[in-house]
Amino acid sequence: MAHKLDVLGLFDNEYRDDGFRTCSVTGLEVHRSVENHVKLFGLTAVVALLYGGIFAFTVAMTRWEAIGLLGPDAFYKHLSLHAWNLLIFWMVFMEIAILYVGGPMVLGRRLPFTKIAKGGWLVMAAGAVLVNYSIWTTQAPNEPPLLTAYVPMPIDPLFYAGAIVFILGTVVAALPFFATMWFEKRENPDSTLPLVSFAAFVTSIIAVEALVGGLVAFTPAMLWRLEIIEWWDAAWYRQMYWIIGHGTQQINLVAMIAVWYFLTHVVAGAEVVSEKVSRTAFILYLFFINLGAAHHLLSDPAVSTGWRLWNTSYAFYGATFASLIHAFAIPAGIEAGRRKRGKGGGLFGWLTSAPWTNPVFASTIFSIILFGFLGGTTGVMMGQLQLNMTWHNTFATVGHFHGTVVLGTTVAFMGLVFFVIRTMFMRKYISKRLASLQPFFYSGAMGVAVLMMMYVGILYGVPRRTAEVVRNIPGTEFSLSAASPLFALFGVFALLAIAGGVLFVLLAVGSLLFGDRVESPSDNADLVADGGSAERSSANDRATEPRDSLEMATDPDDPVHAYEMRGTFVLCLVFLAAFVVTYLLNWYLLTQLWSIGA
Amino acid sequence: MTSHTDADTTASPLAFLRRVLGQAWRDLLSVYYANTTIWRLLKSVGLLFFGFFCWSASNLVLSYGVDWTILQYTRAYGFVLILWGPLTHALVVPLVIRLRRTADGGLTRTIARHGSKINLSIFLTVVLLLGTAPISPMMLDFQSSIGSDSGSDVNPDLACTRADGTVHCHLSESAGVDVVVVTSGDTEITRVEQPPFEFSFQESDLEEVVGQKEFVVELRDEDADTVRRYRRYLSSVPEE
Repeated sequence: MAHKLDVLGLFDNEYRDDGFRTCSVTGLEVHRSVENHVKLFGLTAVVALLYGGIFAFTVAMTRWEAIGLLGPDAFYKHLSLHAWNLLIFWMVFMEIAILYVGGPMVLGRRLPFTKIAKGGWLVMAAGAVLVNYSIWTTQAPNEPPLLTAYVPMPIDPLFYAGAIVFILGTVVAALPFFATMWFEKRENPDSTLPLVSFAAFVTSIIAVEALVGGLVAFTPAMLWRLEIIEWWDAAWYRQMYWIIGHGTQQINLVAMIAVWYFLTHVVAGAEVVSEKVSRTAFILYLFFINLGAAHHLLSDPAVSTGWRLWNTSYAFYGATFASLIHAFAIPAGIEAGRRKRGKGGGLFGWLTSAPWTNPVFASTIFSIILFGFLGGTTGVMMGQLQLNMTWHNTFATVGHFHGTVVLGTTVAFMGLVFFVIRTMFMRKYISKRLASLQPFFYSGAMGVAVLMMMYVGILYGVPRRTAEVVRNIPGTEFSLSAASPLFALFGVFALLAIAGGVLFVLLAVGSLLFGDRVESPSDNADLVADGGSAERSSANDRATEPRDSLEMATDPDDPVHAYEMRGTFVLCLVFLAAFVVTYLLNWYLLTQLWSIGA
Repeated sequence: MTSHTDADTTASPLAFLRRVLGQAWRDLLSVYYANTTIWRLLKSVGLLFFGFFCWSASNLVLSYGVDWTILQYTRAYGFVLILWGPLTHALVVPLVIRLRRTADGGLTRTIARHGSKINLSIFLTVVLLLGTAPISPMMLDFQSSIGSDSGSDVNPDLACTRADGTVHCHLSESAGVDVVVVTSGDTEITRVEQPPFEFSFQESDLEEVVGQKEFVVELRDEDADTVRRYRRYLSSVPEE
């Protein structure tokens, strides 16, 4: 029975007397408490996406100087709102939902301490509203904070307060997840966590590290801004700030990879090629991924050369290695899993016969491909001590993180929202055709826009964060007008990408409000890999184990590595070639700046 | 299951190489002629991105004065591929496959049999032509106008001193500046509209920002656009 506040019927599913139901798509035992909180956090995330997306339009139309929508002051305010709502609020609300999916839902448990979860949501929402309010009402002498509210830049104390409240709320909201892990291990001390839960757990550890870093950075900064503390060390602040500043993006990365494993298994029949190797890759993330933050400080005079070398030339490759493992393991899992089901066919038949009209699958695959080619490779390059000098603070940096956070994480999360609409909100899409089209449209347009950001940054040195660039840098005759043609391409494709984002919000919200209700398991049959049934042999089966009711081409007991993965091998070679060529080109650019021995 | 056979272990290296190359060629053909919607899309978008890359990277390396003729052709290849890649795999290949099923004879039959070869020939011819005689839209200009004679930077030094509670400032030059506005917090302290833009104000007029008195000097041009902005803390202004 629906709650009295649930006037739209969004939280009204049929549960058994014990509060559980069996998901017809994943076969998981889902408890009402988990599902409702996943919905709550997911819906809030979509609201943040909508709000931040509005500023994507004003920001892009300002950077495309032919339009030049906003002046410098308004531009920075809009840019700050765009960044905080999309890079932080959309992502972090989704990530709490993912923790609840990866924890209690995959483990078939109820969510403990639901009042704490609701309290966490309330505090997070209050923090988000406060941050938005403080940015929108910023007045001189304060500056809009963007994501680098460096001391001693004057920032509204309300902003620091909002950020601290949001961080505290996130920690509170994560507590039920940690409690779930605690209970699970106490009850099953000898069994390992399913891979998706393991990934969620690693995500949560990195998240806590980042969030604590945020508290350590923002709290004294706020005290300084309130003039309770007279002075604060700017270099120390920057070090602490980047623990959260880049750490939040590492949460996005690991959560995204957990989503990749989960969704490719459910909707494409992927299997985990080697649990041990994949788990090892997550462990590598745990130790090394946060070192990626170092690239922000590589041009900072306050850190030593030894610090730079350690962070960017040695330890950082631990995280890169982990990413390369996932880059092979996930497509290999799809290929082997599909070949096992008789869906192989030549070199790439396993891929092209996959359910591309299913937006959940298409989003996930585009996220994997575009993150790898555009976000990942550039991240490794700009995370390197030497190459960083050609990327630092140019528009190419913006291209890089749009390649990771938008083409990677946002697209994967969009796929997850499409999945949740069908399997938790139990609503059909208002337009199946448009839903199928959306991932292609959005990923394609955003892909070209991101490519143009990188080009104008790395090829022309166009700076980031400024409203005016191509025609005129105030007070100088320095002109980057040669970049205008690529900027025009950027503007057009940014508009198309924004249209793709609007389409996503319309589909998501429209389906929730006006979509037909999913009445029987057959209504969701198209979501399951190759239309098979999701029934499991026992309720204890884990989400990462193959469902034995799917039709197998040969013996279901065959180990997954008995099937060839040559298509994945070829794709990895293509990826490697692209990586090597881009790497060489970047080094070539650098050699042109340095005249060593001349 | 895996494709390992006894032939793998007994074949001579030459035969093995021949077989691998033959398989690679067949794989390439199967990818080229793959004609499902998703294949058409993947190939089109993949070539679009690849074209962009070849075009811009070749332009870039050429702009450094590298004298490698091959780059002119990779540039032309990338430039043409941006349009021709999607055209080929979204239109030409599907059309050729359809004609092969339906064409009865005559010209249609010839096109069906040789359509891909004709398409590739036209594509390569265009690439060769544009590689040899490039047109202006395909040549990205990487030259900035730094050092041109069209004007100069507006970048004067701002020198300030203080004495007896008064701050005095002046600019090292006035060219390109139409008005100077001094603010502190959100209050305008003074505005100077005549060169040589010397100005004074009282320390007591300044507002405190994060525990320090500060002021901002903004230089604007004749269009009222800000061309330079200086932020100074009172504590860092030297006394006379």
